[in-house]
Amino acid sequence: MKRTLNYTGRMKIKRENVSINFIRQNNNVVAFTVDKLDLNDLTLPPDGRVYVEAYYRTDLKRYDFGTAGSIRYHSSCDLRDIASPENAKFRILVANPSDGKIVAYTDRISPEESAEKKTILPVQFSDLGNEIWQVKYEGEEDSPILIINNRIPNIQNIAKQDAQFFIYVYPGVIREILSHMIFVDVLDSTTDPSTGWHGDWLNFVERLGVEPPETLNKDDKDNFSEEDAIRWISDSVTAFCDIYSNKFHEFIKKLEEMP
Amino acid sequence: MMKVRVMLPEGEQIFRDYIHNLKVNPLYTRPDLNVDYFSQEFSPEVLIDETKHFNSRMDLAEYLQNCFNSTGVKREHILPINGMWTWLAYIWFDQLAPIKNSDTKERKLGEDARYICSSNYSDYYRHLIAGPYRIYSLHNPENLQIFLYDPVHNLSDYNEQFSSRQFLISHRNIVEAFQKLYFDPQARQPKQGSQSRKKPGYIRRFVKILQQFELTYDIYTMPADRILDLLPPEFDGWK
Repeated sequence: MKRTLNYTGRMKIKRENVSINFIRQNNNVVAFTVDKLDLNDLTLPPDGRVYVEAYYRTDLKRYDFGTAGSIRYHSSCDLRDIASPENAKFRILVANPSDGKIVAYTDRISPEESAEKKTILPVQFSDLGNEIWQVKYEGEEDSPILIINNRIPNIQNIAKQDAQFFIYVYPGVIREILSHMIFVDVLDSTTDPSTGWHGDWLNFVERLGVEPPETLNKDDKDNFSEEDAIRWISDSVTAFCDIYSNKFHEFIKKLEEMP
Repeated sequence: MMKVRVMLPEGEQIFRDYIHNLKVNPLYTRPDLNVDYFSQEFSPEVLIDETKHFNSRMDLAEYLQNCFNSTGVKREHILPINGMWTWLAYIWFDQLAPIKNSDTKERKLGEDARYICSSNYSDYYRHLIAGPYRIYSLHNPENLQIFLYDPVHNLSDYNEQFSSRQFLISHRNIVEAFQKLYFDPQARQPKQGSQSRKKPGYIRRFVKILQQFELTYDIYTMPADRILDLLPPEFDGWK
Protein backbone atom coordinates (compact mmCIF):
# COMPACT_ATOMS: atom_id res chain seq x y z
CA MET A 1 0.00 0.00 0.00
CA LYS A 2 1.29 3.45 -0.85
CA ARG A 3 1.31 5.44 2.41
CA THR A 4 1.17 9.18 1.95
CA LEU A 5 1.96 12.07 4.23
CA ASN A 6 0.17 15.29 3.42
CA TYR A 7 2.64 18.06 4.26
CA THR A 8 1.24 20.58 1.80
CA GLY A 9 -2.30 20.83 3.13
CA ARG A 10 -3.67 19.28 -0.04
CA MET A 11 -7.45 18.85 0.18
CA LYS A 12 -9.33 15.74 -0.81
CA ILE A 13 -12.09 15.98 -3.39
CA LYS A 14 -14.80 13.66 -2.09
CA ARG A 15 -15.88 10.89 -4.43
CA GLU A 16 -19.54 11.54 -3.80
CA ASN A 17 -18.98 15.02 -5.26
CA VAL A 18 -17.84 13.61 -8.60
CA SER A 19 -19.80 11.82 -11.30
CA ILE A 20 -18.14 10.61 -14.50
CA ASN A 21 -19.86 8.57 -17.20
CA PHE A 22 -18.71 6.92 -20.39
CA ILE A 23 -20.22 7.65 -23.79
CA ARG A 24 -20.45 4.64 -26.09
CA GLN A 25 -20.87 4.19 -29.83
CA ASN A 26 -21.67 0.68 -31.08
CA ASN A 27 -20.95 -0.52 -27.55
CA ASN A 28 -17.41 0.90 -27.65
CA VAL A 29 -16.29 3.61 -25.24
CA VAL A 30 -15.43 6.73 -27.26
CA ALA A 31 -15.68 9.57 -24.73
CA PHE A 32 -16.72 10.53 -21.22
CA THR A 33 -18.64 13.29 -19.53
CA VAL A 34 -18.17 14.84 -16.12
CA ASP A 35 -21.74 15.24 -14.95
CA LYS A 36 -20.91 16.44 -11.46
CA LEU A 37 -17.86 18.12 -10.01
CA ASP A 38 -18.78 19.87 -6.79
CA LEU A 39 -15.89 21.67 -5.09
CA ASN A 40 -18.03 23.94 -2.91
CA ASP A 41 -17.10 22.19 0.34
CA LEU A 42 -13.41 23.06 -0.21
CA THR A 43 -11.73 26.41 0.34
CA LEU A 44 -9.92 26.80 -2.97
CA PRO A 45 -8.30 29.78 -4.72
CA PRO A 46 -10.81 30.92 -7.35
CA ASP A 47 -8.06 30.92 -9.98
CA GLY A 48 -6.96 27.34 -9.12
CA ARG A 49 -6.74 25.42 -12.40
CA VAL A 50 -9.06 22.40 -12.54
CA TYR A 51 -7.93 19.41 -14.59
CA VAL A 52 -9.44 16.01 -15.24
CA GLU A 53 -7.07 13.30 -16.41
CA ALA A 54 -8.04 9.99 -17.99
CA TYR A 55 -5.43 7.27 -17.85
CA TYR A 56 -4.82 3.62 -18.41
CA ARG A 57 -1.39 2.05 -18.21
CA THR A 58 0.99 4.15 -20.34
CA ASP A 59 -1.74 6.34 -21.76
CA LEU A 60 -2.72 9.65 -20.20
CA LYS A 61 -4.90 12.46 -21.46
CA ARG A 62 -5.61 15.74 -19.71
CA TYR A 63 -8.68 17.95 -20.04
CA ASP A 64 -8.87 21.56 -18.88
CA PHE A 65 -11.97 22.23 -16.77
CA GLY A 66 -11.36 25.93 -16.16
CA THR A 67 -10.91 27.25 -12.66
CA ALA A 68 -12.20 26.44 -9.19
CA GLY A 69 -14.20 29.70 -9.34
CA SER A 70 -15.62 28.92 -12.76
CA ILE A 71 -15.67 25.27 -13.75
CA ARG A 72 -15.97 24.76 -17.49
CA TYR A 73 -17.85 21.59 -18.33
CA HIS A 74 -17.34 19.87 -21.68
CA SER A 75 -20.23 18.29 -23.55
CA SER A 76 -17.95 15.25 -24.02
CA CYS A 77 -14.24 14.45 -23.72
CA ASP A 78 -12.81 12.28 -26.49
CA LEU A 79 -11.10 9.03 -25.46
CA ARG A 80 -10.62 7.46 -28.89
CA ASP A 81 -6.84 7.81 -28.90
CA ILE A 82 -6.42 5.92 -25.62
CA ALA A 83 -5.80 2.17 -25.83
CA SER A 84 -8.58 0.20 -24.04
CA PRO A 85 -10.53 3.33 -22.99
CA GLU A 86 -13.15 1.13 -21.29
CA ASN A 87 -10.53 0.53 -18.59
CA ALA A 88 -9.69 4.20 -18.08
CA LYS A 89 -9.63 5.68 -14.61
CA PHE A 90 -9.77 9.34 -13.74
CA ARG A 91 -7.79 11.77 -11.64
CA ILE A 92 -9.03 15.24 -10.76
CA LEU A 93 -6.79 17.96 -9.45
CA VAL A 94 -6.84 21.63 -8.69
CA ALA A 95 -3.44 23.33 -9.06
CA ASN A 96 -2.36 26.71 -7.79
CA PRO A 97 -1.23 28.66 -10.89
CA SER A 98 1.34 30.70 -8.96
CA ASP A 99 3.55 27.84 -7.71
CA GLY A 100 2.21 24.75 -9.53
CA LYS A 101 1.31 23.00 -6.29
CA ILE A 102 -1.71 20.75 -6.05
CA VAL A 103 -4.30 22.16 -3.65
CA ALA A 104 -7.03 19.53 -4.09
CA TYR A 105 -6.95 16.03 -5.48
CA THR A 106 -8.73 12.76 -6.00
CA ASP A 107 -7.63 9.73 -7.97
CA ARG A 108 -8.69 6.33 -9.29
CA ILE A 109 -12.23 7.44 -10.01
CA SER A 110 -14.15 4.85 -12.00
CA PRO A 111 -17.05 5.82 -14.24
CA GLU A 112 -20.32 5.06 -12.53
CA GLU A 113 -21.55 2.51 -15.01
CA SER A 114 -18.53 0.26 -14.54
CA ALA A 115 -18.72 0.08 -10.76
CA GLU A 116 -21.19 -2.80 -10.82
CA LYS A 117 -19.19 -4.86 -13.31
CA LYS A 118 -15.76 -4.39 -11.82
CA THR A 119 -13.89 -7.51 -10.76
CA ILE A 120 -12.55 -7.04 -7.27
CA LEU A 121 -10.52 -10.23 -7.33
CA PRO A 122 -8.69 -11.00 -10.59
CA VAL A 123 -7.63 -14.64 -10.88
CA GLN A 124 -4.36 -15.87 -12.38
CA PHE A 125 -3.13 -19.41 -12.88
CA SER A 126 0.54 -20.13 -12.08
CA ASP A 127 2.73 -22.95 -10.86
CA LEU A 128 2.53 -22.80 -7.04
CA GLY A 129 4.38 -26.03 -6.36
CA ASN A 130 2.35 -27.96 -3.81
CA GLU A 131 0.06 -25.12 -2.75
CA ILE A 132 -3.48 -24.82 -4.07
CA TRP A 133 -3.81 -21.05 -3.90
CA GLN A 134 -2.15 -17.87 -2.76
CA VAL A 135 -3.22 -14.26 -2.62
CA LYS A 136 -0.64 -11.83 -3.95
CA TYR A 137 -0.96 -8.11 -3.46
CA GLU A 138 0.45 -7.14 -6.82
CA GLY A 139 -2.51 -5.61 -8.60
CA GLU A 140 -3.23 -1.95 -9.09
CA GLU A 141 -2.48 -0.08 -5.83
CA ASP A 142 -1.22 -3.40 -4.45
CA SER A 143 -4.70 -4.85 -4.72
CA PRO A 144 -5.20 -8.60 -4.25
CA ILE A 145 -4.89 -11.15 -7.03
CA LEU A 146 -5.91 -14.76 -6.44
CA ILE A 147 -3.28 -17.13 -7.80
CA ILE A 148 -4.42 -20.72 -8.36
CA ASN A 149 -2.02 -23.55 -9.05
CA ASN A 150 -2.02 -24.42 -12.75
CA ARG A 151 -0.45 -27.79 -12.02
CA ILE A 152 -3.93 -29.03 -11.07
CA PRO A 153 -5.53 -30.64 -14.14
CA ASN A 154 -8.61 -28.82 -15.51
CA ILE A 155 -8.19 -26.17 -12.81
CA GLN A 156 -9.80 -23.36 -14.80
CA ASN A 157 -13.10 -25.24 -14.89
CA ILE A 158 -12.76 -26.46 -11.32
CA ALA A 159 -12.18 -22.93 -10.05
CA LYS A 160 -15.33 -21.72 -11.79
CA GLN A 161 -17.74 -24.56 -11.18
CA ASP A 162 -16.66 -27.06 -8.56
CA ALA A 163 -18.65 -26.73 -5.32
CA GLN A 164 -15.97 -28.38 -3.20
CA PHE A 165 -13.31 -26.00 -4.48
CA PHE A 166 -15.66 -23.06 -3.93
CA ILE A 167 -16.43 -23.78 -0.29
CA TYR A 168 -12.86 -24.79 0.57
CA VAL A 169 -11.08 -21.90 -1.13
CA TYR A 170 -13.14 -18.73 -1.41
CA PRO A 171 -14.12 -18.24 2.26
CA GLY A 172 -10.43 -18.56 3.14
CA VAL A 173 -9.49 -16.10 0.43
CA ILE A 174 -11.99 -13.54 1.72
CA ARG A 175 -10.74 -13.95 5.29
CA GLU A 176 -7.15 -13.50 4.10
CA ILE A 177 -7.90 -10.34 2.12
CA LEU A 178 -9.98 -8.63 4.80
CA SER A 179 -7.34 -9.45 7.41
CA HIS A 180 -4.61 -8.07 5.16
CA MET A 181 -6.62 -4.92 4.53
CA ILE A 182 -6.95 -4.19 8.24
CA PHE A 183 -3.84 -5.65 9.86
CA VAL A 184 -1.16 -5.31 7.15
CA ASP A 185 -2.40 -2.27 5.22
CA VAL A 186 -4.06 0.57 7.06
CA LEU A 187 -7.77 0.98 6.34
CA ASP A 188 -7.93 4.72 6.98
CA SER A 189 -11.69 5.12 6.60
CA THR A 190 -14.68 2.82 6.29
CA THR A 191 -16.68 5.42 4.34
CA ASP A 192 -14.08 7.02 2.04
CA PRO A 193 -10.83 5.02 2.11
CA SER A 194 -7.87 6.51 0.26
CA THR A 195 -7.01 3.18 -1.36
CA GLY A 196 -9.39 2.24 -4.16
CA TRP A 197 -9.47 -1.51 -3.62
CA HIS A 198 -10.22 -1.10 0.09
CA GLY A 199 -13.37 0.76 -0.94
CA ASP A 200 -14.30 -1.99 -3.40
CA TRP A 201 -13.99 -4.68 -0.72
CA LEU A 202 -15.89 -2.61 1.85
CA ASN A 203 -18.71 -2.27 -0.70
CA PHE A 204 -18.59 -6.00 -1.32
CA VAL A 205 -18.97 -6.76 2.40
CA GLU A 206 -21.71 -4.18 2.72
CA ARG A 207 -23.61 -5.95 -0.06
CA LEU A 208 -23.30 -9.15 1.99
CA GLY A 209 -25.29 -7.29 4.67
CA VAL A 210 -22.48 -6.82 7.19
CA GLU A 211 -21.94 -3.36 8.66
CA PRO A 212 -18.42 -2.34 9.73
CA PRO A 213 -17.69 -1.30 13.33
CA GLU A 214 -17.02 2.37 14.18
CA THR A 215 -13.48 2.14 12.87
CA LEU A 216 -11.26 -0.48 11.25
CA ASN A 217 -8.20 1.77 11.32
CA LYS A 218 -5.63 0.02 13.48
CA ASP A 219 -3.71 3.32 13.83
CA ASP A 220 -6.69 4.92 15.54
CA LYS A 221 -5.58 3.66 18.96
CA ASP A 222 -8.47 5.27 20.86
CA ASN A 223 -11.28 3.69 18.89
CA PHE A 224 -9.91 0.60 17.15
CA SER A 225 -10.94 -2.73 18.64
CA GLU A 226 -9.09 -5.79 17.40
CA GLU A 227 -11.92 -7.94 18.71
CA ASP A 228 -14.50 -5.99 16.68
CA ALA A 229 -12.33 -6.16 13.58
CA ILE A 230 -11.91 -9.93 13.83
CA ARG A 231 -15.65 -10.33 14.43
CA TRP A 232 -16.39 -8.18 11.35
CA ILE A 233 -14.12 -10.40 9.25
CA SER A 234 -15.75 -13.58 10.57
CA ASP A 235 -19.25 -12.21 10.08
CA SER A 236 -18.34 -11.30 6.49
CA VAL A 237 -17.09 -14.80 5.75
CA THR A 238 -20.17 -16.33 7.37
CA ALA A 239 -22.47 -14.07 5.34
CA PHE A 240 -20.65 -15.05 2.14
CA CYS A 241 -21.04 -18.76 2.95
CA ASP A 242 -24.73 -18.26 3.77
CA ILE A 243 -25.37 -16.53 0.45
CA TYR A 244 -23.69 -19.40 -1.37
CA SER A 245 -25.23 -22.12 0.82
CA ASN A 246 -26.27 -23.91 -2.40
CA LYS A 247 -22.57 -24.72 -2.96
CA PHE A 248 -22.37 -26.27 0.50
CA HIS A 249 -25.50 -28.37 -0.10
CA GLU A 250 -24.22 -29.41 -3.52
CA PHE A 251 -20.99 -30.61 -1.92
CA ILE A 252 -22.87 -32.56 0.79
CA LYS A 253 -25.17 -34.10 -1.80
CA LYS A 254 -22.19 -35.33 -3.81
CA LEU A 255 -20.71 -36.91 -0.70
CA GLU A 256 -23.98 -38.63 0.12
CA GLU A 257 -24.30 -39.98 -3.40
CA MET A 258 -20.84 -41.51 -3.34
CA PRO A 259 -20.95 -45.31 -3.19
CA MET B 1 7.95 -11.06 -45.86
CA MET B 2 5.05 -12.46 -43.86
CA LYS B 3 1.55 -11.31 -43.07
CA VAL B 4 1.09 -10.49 -39.40
CA ARG B 5 -1.09 -13.03 -37.58
CA VAL B 6 -2.88 -13.16 -34.24
CA MET B 7 -2.20 -16.12 -31.97
CA LEU B 8 -5.35 -17.92 -30.83
CA PRO B 9 -5.66 -19.43 -27.32
CA GLU B 10 -4.85 -22.89 -28.75
CA GLY B 11 -1.64 -21.53 -30.29
CA GLU B 12 -0.73 -19.64 -27.16
CA GLN B 13 -0.94 -22.83 -25.11
CA ILE B 14 1.33 -24.70 -27.54
CA PHE B 15 3.79 -21.77 -27.56
CA ARG B 16 3.78 -21.70 -23.77
CA ASP B 17 4.40 -25.45 -23.63
CA TYR B 18 7.24 -25.03 -26.13
CA ILE B 19 8.92 -22.40 -23.93
CA HIS B 20 8.56 -24.61 -20.84
CA ASN B 21 9.89 -27.65 -22.70
CA LEU B 22 12.92 -25.70 -23.92
CA LYS B 23 13.95 -25.16 -20.31
CA VAL B 24 14.21 -28.94 -19.90
CA ASN B 25 15.26 -29.90 -23.42
CA PRO B 26 16.98 -27.11 -25.41
CA LEU B 27 16.62 -29.18 -28.59
CA TYR B 28 12.83 -29.40 -28.31
CA THR B 29 11.29 -28.98 -31.77
CA ARG B 30 9.62 -25.68 -32.47
CA PRO B 31 5.93 -26.14 -33.37
CA ASP B 32 4.42 -24.66 -36.52
CA LEU B 33 1.79 -22.23 -35.26
CA ASN B 34 1.24 -20.43 -38.57
CA VAL B 35 -1.82 -22.50 -39.34
CA ASP B 36 -5.40 -21.39 -38.90
CA TYR B 37 -6.10 -23.63 -35.90
CA PHE B 38 -3.41 -21.83 -33.90
CA SER B 39 -3.36 -18.33 -35.38
CA GLN B 40 -5.22 -16.24 -37.93
CA GLU B 41 -4.27 -13.36 -40.19
CA PHE B 42 -4.49 -9.87 -38.78
CA SER B 43 -6.75 -7.49 -40.64
CA PRO B 44 -5.90 -5.14 -42.33
CA GLU B 45 -2.92 -6.85 -43.87
CA VAL B 46 0.43 -5.83 -42.35
CA LEU B 47 3.68 -7.30 -43.64
CA ILE B 48 6.79 -7.93 -41.55
CA ASP B 49 10.21 -9.35 -42.33
CA GLU B 50 10.46 -12.48 -40.22
CA THR B 51 14.23 -12.72 -40.88
CA LYS B 52 15.03 -9.17 -39.82
CA HIS B 53 17.70 -8.79 -37.14
CA PHE B 54 17.28 -6.05 -34.55
CA ASN B 55 20.28 -4.38 -32.98
CA SER B 56 18.33 -2.94 -30.09
CA ARG B 57 14.87 -2.58 -28.58
CA MET B 58 14.76 0.85 -30.24
CA ASP B 59 15.47 -0.74 -33.62
CA LEU B 60 12.63 -3.23 -33.10
CA ALA B 61 10.13 -0.58 -31.96
CA GLU B 62 10.98 1.74 -34.85
CA TYR B 63 10.60 -1.09 -37.36
CA LEU B 64 7.17 -2.06 -36.03
CA GLN B 65 6.03 1.55 -35.88
CA ASN B 66 6.90 1.92 -39.58
CA CYS B 67 5.15 -1.34 -40.49
CA PHE B 68 1.95 -0.33 -38.73
CA ASN B 69 2.04 3.31 -39.84
CA SER B 70 2.44 2.33 -43.48
CA THR B 71 -0.90 0.53 -43.35
CA GLY B 72 -2.67 3.16 -41.25
CA VAL B 73 -3.02 0.93 -38.19
CA LYS B 74 -3.23 2.97 -34.98
CA ARG B 75 -1.49 2.09 -31.71
CA GLU B 76 -4.70 2.31 -29.67
CA HIS B 77 -6.26 -0.36 -31.85
CA ILE B 78 -3.39 -2.84 -31.76
CA LEU B 79 -2.10 -2.53 -28.21
CA PRO B 80 -5.03 -4.48 -26.72
CA ILE B 81 -4.58 -7.38 -29.19
CA ASN B 82 -2.45 -9.66 -27.00
CA GLY B 83 -2.50 -12.50 -29.53
CA MET B 84 -0.74 -10.37 -32.14
CA TRP B 85 2.13 -9.49 -29.79
CA THR B 86 2.43 -13.13 -28.75
CA TRP B 87 2.61 -14.17 -32.41
CA LEU B 88 5.34 -11.59 -33.13
CA ALA B 89 7.33 -12.99 -30.19
CA TYR B 90 6.88 -16.46 -31.64
CA ILE B 91 8.20 -15.26 -35.02
CA TRP B 92 11.28 -13.49 -33.60
CA PHE B 93 11.72 -15.93 -30.71
CA ASP B 94 15.35 -16.74 -31.63
CA GLN B 95 16.27 -13.11 -30.95
CA LEU B 96 14.18 -12.85 -27.80
CA ALA B 97 15.61 -16.05 -26.32
CA PRO B 98 19.07 -16.31 -27.87
CA ILE B 99 21.22 -19.40 -27.52
CA LYS B 100 23.70 -18.84 -24.70
CA ASN B 101 25.59 -22.13 -24.98
CA SER B 102 26.46 -23.20 -28.51
CA ASP B 103 27.27 -26.75 -27.41
CA THR B 104 24.10 -27.56 -25.50
CA LYS B 105 21.91 -25.02 -27.41
CA GLU B 106 20.64 -23.82 -24.07
CA ARG B 107 18.77 -20.51 -24.43
CA LYS B 108 18.56 -17.39 -22.36
CA LEU B 109 14.93 -17.72 -21.27
CA GLY B 110 12.93 -15.49 -18.98
CA GLU B 111 9.46 -15.65 -17.52
CA ASP B 112 6.48 -16.39 -19.81
CA ALA B 113 5.28 -12.76 -19.75
CA ARG B 114 8.26 -11.78 -21.90
CA TYR B 115 6.91 -13.86 -24.79
CA ILE B 116 3.21 -14.44 -24.06
CA CYS B 117 1.53 -11.04 -24.01
CA SER B 118 -0.67 -10.66 -20.97
CA SER B 119 -3.25 -8.17 -19.77
CA ASN B 120 -2.20 -8.62 -16.18
CA TYR B 121 -1.47 -5.38 -14.42
CA SER B 122 1.65 -6.81 -12.83
CA ASP B 123 3.48 -7.90 -15.96
CA TYR B 124 1.90 -6.53 -19.17
CA TYR B 125 4.87 -4.18 -19.71
CA ARG B 126 7.38 -7.04 -19.62
CA HIS B 127 6.52 -8.34 -23.10
CA LEU B 128 9.65 -8.00 -25.21
CA ILE B 129 7.81 -6.85 -28.35
CA ALA B 130 4.76 -4.97 -27.06
CA GLY B 131 6.75 -3.25 -24.30
CA PRO B 132 9.19 -1.34 -26.55
CA TYR B 133 6.46 -0.53 -29.09
CA ARG B 134 4.10 0.73 -26.39
CA ILE B 135 6.49 3.45 -25.19
CA TYR B 136 8.10 4.18 -28.58
CA SER B 137 4.71 4.95 -30.07
CA LEU B 138 3.87 7.26 -27.17
CA HIS B 139 6.91 9.43 -26.51
CA ASN B 140 9.69 11.19 -28.41
CA PRO B 141 12.17 8.38 -29.26
CA GLU B 142 15.06 10.74 -28.46
CA ASN B 143 14.03 10.56 -24.81
CA LEU B 144 13.65 6.79 -24.75
CA GLN B 145 17.21 5.66 -25.30
CA ILE B 146 17.60 4.71 -21.65
CA PHE B 147 14.71 2.26 -22.03
CA LEU B 148 15.48 1.01 -25.53
CA TYR B 149 19.27 1.08 -26.02
CA ASP B 150 19.82 -2.55 -25.09
CA PRO B 151 19.37 -5.85 -27.00
CA VAL B 152 15.87 -7.09 -27.68
CA HIS B 153 16.11 -9.97 -25.19
CA ASN B 154 16.94 -7.62 -22.28
CA LEU B 155 14.52 -6.20 -19.76
CA SER B 156 16.58 -3.75 -17.74
CA ASP B 157 15.87 -2.36 -14.30
CA TYR B 158 15.31 1.04 -15.98
CA ASN B 159 12.29 -0.50 -17.69
CA GLU B 160 11.18 -2.45 -14.68
CA GLN B 161 11.23 0.58 -12.37
CA PHE B 162 9.53 2.92 -14.81
CA SER B 163 7.17 0.94 -16.97
CA SER B 164 5.43 -0.66 -14.02
CA ARG B 165 4.40 2.76 -12.71
CA GLN B 166 1.61 4.40 -14.65
CA PHE B 167 2.23 7.90 -13.41
CA LEU B 168 5.90 7.88 -14.37
CA ILE B 169 5.78 6.21 -17.77
CA SER B 170 2.77 8.21 -18.98
CA HIS B 171 4.40 11.62 -18.40
CA ARG B 172 6.70 12.56 -21.29
CA ASN B 173 8.45 15.21 -19.20
CA ILE B 174 9.30 12.73 -16.43
CA VAL B 175 10.60 10.31 -19.05
CA GLU B 176 12.75 13.09 -20.50
CA ALA B 177 14.06 14.11 -17.07
CA PHE B 178 14.92 10.49 -16.25
CA GLN B 179 16.94 10.11 -19.43
CA LYS B 180 18.71 13.45 -18.94
CA LEU B 181 19.72 12.39 -15.47
CA TYR B 182 20.90 8.84 -16.04
CA PHE B 183 21.76 8.37 -19.73
CA ASP B 184 25.17 9.17 -21.18
CA PRO B 185 24.55 10.25 -24.80
CA GLN B 186 28.24 10.00 -25.73
CA ALA B 187 28.64 6.46 -24.46
CA ARG B 188 25.11 5.65 -25.67
CA GLN B 189 24.36 3.78 -22.48
CA PRO B 190 23.18 4.54 -18.93
CA LYS B 191 25.63 6.26 -16.61
CA GLN B 192 27.80 3.95 -14.56
CA GLY B 193 26.40 3.25 -11.10
CA SER B 194 22.93 4.62 -11.76
CA GLN B 195 21.42 1.31 -10.65
CA SER B 196 23.64 0.98 -7.59
CA ARG B 197 21.95 1.23 -4.21
CA LYS B 198 25.23 2.55 -2.81
CA LYS B 199 25.08 5.71 -4.95
CA PRO B 200 23.05 8.68 -3.69
CA GLY B 201 20.23 9.56 -6.01
CA TYR B 202 20.26 6.25 -7.90
CA ILE B 203 17.29 5.35 -10.10
CA ARG B 204 15.08 3.86 -7.40
CA ARG B 205 15.43 7.05 -5.35
CA PHE B 206 14.26 9.00 -8.40
CA VAL B 207 11.18 6.80 -8.59
CA LYS B 208 10.48 7.32 -4.90
CA ILE B 209 10.89 11.09 -5.03
CA LEU B 210 8.70 11.42 -8.13
CA GLN B 211 5.98 9.46 -6.38
CA GLN B 212 6.03 12.14 -3.69
CA PHE B 213 5.93 14.89 -6.34
CA GLU B 214 2.87 13.23 -7.85
CA LEU B 215 0.78 14.42 -4.93
CA THR B 216 2.51 17.75 -4.45
CA TYR B 217 3.12 19.36 -7.85
CA ASP B 218 1.19 19.63 -11.08
CA ILE B 219 3.95 17.74 -12.87
CA TYR B 220 2.09 17.55 -16.19
CA THR B 221 2.72 21.21 -17.00
CA MET B 222 6.38 21.25 -15.95
CA PRO B 223 9.28 21.12 -18.43
CA ALA B 224 11.79 18.33 -17.73
CA ASP B 225 14.42 20.83 -16.53
CA ARG B 226 12.04 22.22 -13.92
CA ILE B 227 11.50 18.68 -12.59
CA LEU B 228 15.29 18.25 -12.36
CA ASP B 229 15.54 21.56 -10.48
CA LEU B 230 13.07 20.31 -7.89
CA LEU B 231 15.11 17.21 -7.07
CA PRO B 232 16.95 17.29 -3.73
CA PRO B 233 20.77 17.65 -3.60
CA GLU B 234 21.37 13.87 -3.53
CA PHE B 235 20.76 13.93 -7.30
CA ASP B 236 23.29 16.67 -8.07
CA GLY B 237 26.00 14.17 -9.00
CA TRP B 238 23.90 12.89 -11.90
CA LYS B 239 23.04 16.28 -13.45
